[in-house]
Amino acid sequence: MAASSSSSILLLSLLISSLVCLSTPGSAFLMDGGHMTSSAPLEPHFTECISREQETFRCWWSAGSFQNLSSPGALRVFYLKKESPTSEWKECPEYIYSKRECFFDTNHTSIWITYCIQLRTQNNVTYFNEDDCFTVENIVRPDPPVALNWTLMNMSPSGLYYDVRVRWKPPPSADVTAGWMRVEYEVQFRGRNSTVWEALEVQGTTQQTIYGLRIGEEYEVRIRCRMMAFTKFGEFSDSVFIHVTEIPSKEITFPVTLALIFGIAGILILIVLIVISQHHRLMVILLPPIPAPKIKGIDPELLKKGKLDELNFILSGGGMGSLPSYAPDFYQDEPWVEFIEVDAEDADPGEKEDDQGSDTQRLLGLSQPVGQLTHIGCSHAISFPDDDSGRASCYDPDLPDQDALMLSAALLPGQPEEASLDVLERSPGPEIGERPIVHAQPQGPQTWVNTDFYAQVSDVMPSGGVVLSPGQQLRTQESTSATEEEMQKKGLENGDGEETEAKKEGKQKELQFQLLVVDPEGSGYTMESVARQISTPSSSSMPGEGYHTIPPQPIDTKPNQEAFLPPPTTTGEFQSPYIHPDSPQSQFLAPVSDYTVVQEVDCQHSLLLNPSPAPSPPPCLPQHPLKALPAMPVGYISPELLGNLSP
Amino acid sequence: MPENFRSVSAVWVGLVCLLFYSRLVRVGAAPICTNGQAGCHILSLADLFDRVIQHSARMHGISSDLHSEFEQYFFPSKNHIGRVNRICHTSTILTPNGKENAQRLAREELTEVILKLLVAWRDPLWHFQQSIAHHHDFNNFSSNKALEMSDMVHELRKGVEKVAEKMQMLGIISNSVNSLTSPEALIPSDRAEWRLMKDYVLLYCFRRDSNKVQNYLKILKCRIIPQHEC
Repeated sequence: MAASSSSSILLLSLLISSLVCLSTPGSAFLMDGGHMTSSAPLEPHFTECISREQETFRCWWSAGSFQNLSSPGALRVFYLKKESPTSEWKECPEYIYSKRECFFDTNHTSIWITYCIQLRTQNNVTYFNEDDCFTVENIVRPDPPVALNWTLMNMSPSGLYYDVRVRWKPPPSADVTAGWMRVEYEVQFRGRNSTVWEALEVQGTTQQTIYGLRIGEEYEVRIRCRMMAFTKFGEFSDSVFIHVTEIPSKEITFPVTLALIFGIAGILILIVLIVISQHHRLMVILLPPIPAPKIKGIDPELLKKGKLDELNFILSGGGMGSLPSYAPDFYQDEPWVEFIEVDAEDADPGEKEDDQGSDTQRLLGLSQPVGQLTHIGCSHAISFPDDDSGRASCYDPDLPDQDALMLSAALLPGQPEEASLDVLERSPGPEIGERPIVHAQPQGPQTWVNTDFYAQVSDVMPSGGVVLSPGQQLRTQESTSATEEEMQKKGLENGDGEETEAKKEGKQKELQFQLLVVDPEGSGYTMESVARQISTPSSSSMPGEGYHTIPPQPIDTKPNQEAFLPPPTTTGEFQSPYIHPDSPQSQFLAPVSDYTVVQEVDCQHSLLLNPSPAPSPPPCLPQHPLKALPAMPVGYISPELLGNLSP
Repeated sequence: MPENFRSVSAVWVGLVCLLFYSRLVRVGAAPICTNGQAGCHILSLADLFDRVIQHSARMHGISSDLHSEFEQYFFPSKNHIGRVNRICHTSTILTPNGKENAQRLAREELTEVILKLLVAWRDPLWHFQQSIAHHHDFNNFSSNKALEMSDMVHELRKGVEKVAEKMQMLGIISNSVNSLTSPEALIPSDRAEWRLMKDYVLLYCFRRDSNKVQNYLKILKCRIIPQHEC
């Protein structure tokens, strides 16, 4: 393209010309401190041409090394204004020889028109440089702005830094208001100790903010300006000093917020510490423990399923006797546990938190004896309620009707413990501890507590008598009826032998209980209390409570008749033969059980409750089988054996 | 059925056309505002002047930057003059060369001068931008600036024409300005000259002329709308 070729040609020509010009000494006008050799004589030349307001301009010249030309008037200034191709050189309109200056006033100043200036001697020796051509708008260097001042803006929160707003006015010589000049400003500042000026961004408004000045340090600020879209800055203005000292008023707010923050943090830490230290108590309050069977002195492991043998052993005073007070504390880490005391120690019946068997007392009804009996649905009674909730729900302080109690007692073999405890517990003595654990087959004088105080009436004889069945039937039909029988067998076995022993042992004032078989005489079903004897005659038995039986038999006369004698437990002896048929303990003396199985009927139609040969079978007398019964260990007739009775 | 389809499609096309037309009408209707019409944002003459002056200032800045860039490839002159004798194609346009001259000039004449200058530079700048784009010597920065410059001249000219319209509407100046907007009437004889200009000279000339335009606009504004900053 022609344009590209022409431009390249232009480029080449310019380069060549520049190389040529570089070698000439006359280029001093253009190159600041250019590479001029000192040896070459310095021609007269122009040092600078400046316009301050784009309306006039001045040029200064120097004689160079030609000192003879330094006298005023030796050199003359001529200028060329390229307005038209026919323009010619004219002489400087105004000389100021003292400064070697040529001043062009407004009449001689034209903007956007190229000026060329040259120096001539009197002899018309011309010193001219091509580079001394210019247009006025390109040589404008505005005057510095005026009225520079500063105001404090704000302080940093730390009180160490502050911001300052600097204001000024445009130079009066520049006709900014008429729009003839558009000026932009540059602010520079430095600290007193530094030598480097920091320059802010060039912008066209007459104010600017300086950020981040440090308290206590003195700063120096100056400003200069230039034409917009041009490159030449004017002179700097006079410096203004900024110095800000401490302002104490602002510091008050600072520590208040700090104090608040620290206070809140401290309170939070304190709360956390309290929670951590009182962890256990809070745990008790917030998360009450789930009740579980806990007997003092007994390893909680034993209370788990399948370990009743050991438990029975322990409770019945095996090995180390009845639960000694020095039994290992299995619940060391749970001081709040309420224990069921199984020993014969005194227990305050009132306090709930008491570990001394208050539960037993209450259950057995010393204070409110039969309350629990009425609460059939109270399942806690079966287990060992050692917490308040269980007891409370089952707890009815009102004394129910005795008869009703008896009836309910009779009809509810499924609640043996409670009823048994309630009814049997006659002795207010604290030595009677709880024996709630096991619904034990009463095996004799020791186990009256565990016995079923009531048996289910399974059948009614036409004659009016009542056929009783084992008490456990109500609860668990499938349960250990067989075991029951075995227990009863054992009981019977032992009962005869140890009956007397038990009696001999009798130290306690346990109730004796007796259950007789159906009375066909028509005495029928009565709620009479059974032989309820207390070893100590002082205490009278509670009449109506407990167990219903058949016509009571004088127990004293016929010890054998007794179904079972309450075992003279010493201290919290406990027998649970009911559940463990295989209990090896001979403790299951229970020589007499509430009811035994009628094993056979002899020729005299007497019921043989114990097939063992120990009790001599009664002579085969043609007696009424029922009459013969009193001579036998008292038992009961199970329905299947009823048939044997028929003569 | 083809007939049904055709009718349906015709209806659709008609609806679409209606939509577009309405949109166009709406767009076209917006700027037409008579005096005192509610809901129409009328720009005041001062605002128009401000916009135009800002535009010209930017144009001058770009031209100055481009000129400085060009000078790197050539010998950098102290006063941005350079060694080549520059004759600009707009030299024939009589422009006031000083502040007093510009202030003494009539408003209509000043507006005319501005418009003349802007019109005269439309084609040369477009060609310059074309040549720059094809030149691999210059980077993208320069070519973008050149393109922006040529667009800006175009926009500025339209802006100044609008300002002139507004002024005539307000009765500030007479109606003699409009007749000069056609480029053919302005510079019939200079059309060939600028083709001979080199790129560098062109930039130099345009820089000078953009400065002129900027100054004239500012003076015009301050004469017509005296403000505190004027």
